Amino acid sequence: MIYVIALILGVLFGFALNKAGLTKYHKIVNQFRLTDMAVLKFMMTALVVTMIGVYPLRAMGLITFPTVPATYVVGNLAGGLLFGVGMAMAGFCPGTAVAGAGEGKLDYLVPGLLGFLTGAVIWGLTYQSVFPKISAIANYGNVVIPDLWKINPYLAVFVFALMALVLFYLIDRMGMHRKEKKG
Amino acid sequence: MNWLMKQIRKEEWSPYAAGVLLGIVGILTVVLAHALLGASGGFENLAGYIGKAISPSNIYFNDVMPAKITYPVVLLVGIFFGGMLGSFSSGTFKIRTMDSEQWKTAYGKQTWKRWLLLFVGGIIVEYAAGIAGGCTSGLAISGGMLLAPAAFLFIAGMFASGIVTALIVYGKKY
Repeated sequence: MIYVIALILGVLFGFALNKAGLTKYHKIVNQFRLTDMAVLKFMMTALVVTMIGVYPLRAMGLITFPTVPATYVVGNLAGGLLFGVGMAMAGFCPGTAVAGAGEGKLDYLVPGLLGFLTGAVIWGLTYQSVFPKISAIANYGNVVIPDLWKINPYLAVFVFALMALVLFYLIDRMGMHRKEKKG
Repeated sequence: MNWLMKQIRKEEWSPYAAGVLLGIVGILTVVLAHALLGASGGFENLAGYIGKAISPSNIYFNDVMPAKITYPVVLLVGIFFGGMLGSFSSGTFKIRTMDSEQWKTAYGKQTWKRWLLLFVGGIIVEYAAGIAGGCTSGLAISGGMLLAPAAFLFIAGMFASGIVTALIVYGKKY
C-alpha cells in the first residue's frame, strides 16, 4: 500500500516540478544568476503551504512528524556548498533530473542518472571515513526550529510566511532581481 | 471547466501556483505516508546493488542505505512519470539529446560536452547530498517545510556556491 501511495505522491511531485519549469537548465541556472527567481518562489511557496498544513495538524494531535532531517551544522552547510556547485554547473538536481528524464530528455536520463548512481556509490564507499566525523560536529539531532529555540510553533510559521511574502513583494513589486542582458 | 483545463495544459505555471501544488503534496506525504519527499535517497538504495558488488561487506550498502526497492525508489519512479504526465499535458514531450539553447551560449553546442558535464555534475550533486543528509527535495524542501535548521543551512550553502559557480561559468555574460 505504501508503494501505491509513494507512486502517486511521486507523480504529483514530478508533475509540479514540470509545471514550475524546473526541469529546464535555464530555469535553474538563471536562479543562480538572479535573473529568474522562479525556483525560490516555487520552493518558498511550497514550504509555507506545507507548514501551515502540518503544524496545526500536529498541534491537534492528528499526526506526528516523520523523522526530521538531522541538523549537523558543518555537514549540512558543507554539503550545501558542494551541492550548489554541481547544481549550477549542470542545471539540475536529482528530483528535477528524474522528472526531466520523463519528458524525454536523454541527457538527463543517461549521463545524469548514471552520474547520480556513480556519486551514490562513491559516497557509500567513503561513508565511514567521512560521515561519522562530519556529523559529530555541532549535531543537534532531528530537531525543528520551534522546539530548538523553544518558540511557539504558530509564531514560527507566521514569521516564516511573513518573510516569504516580504521576499515575494520585494522581487515582484520592487523588481529586486537582475535584468537579463540583451545581445 | 474549460478554463481550468486550459490552465492545467499550460507548459509553465506561475511558480506560486506550482508551489501551492507542491505544498499540498508535502502535506499529503506527511499525512498519508508518514514520510517525506526525496530524490537522492532513492539513488542511494539503487547504488547499493552496484556498491555491494564492489564491496560486499560495506556497512553503508548493507545497513545504512540497503540495496532494496524502498519507498524512495518508488517515489523516483513516480517522479519520472509525473514529469512525463506534465509534458504530455502540454504537448511538450519529446525524445531529445540536448535540451537547452542557453546551455549552448554558456558551454558550446557539442552534445558530448553536455553529456560529460551532466555526468560530472550528477556525481558532485549526489555526493554532496550524502554529506548534507539530503538534496533539494529530501532536505531543502522536506526539511524546510518542517522548519528543520538543517534545511536552511543547506539552502544557504547551495545558493552561495551556486551563485559563485554561475558567475564563473558565465563570466562577462553573467
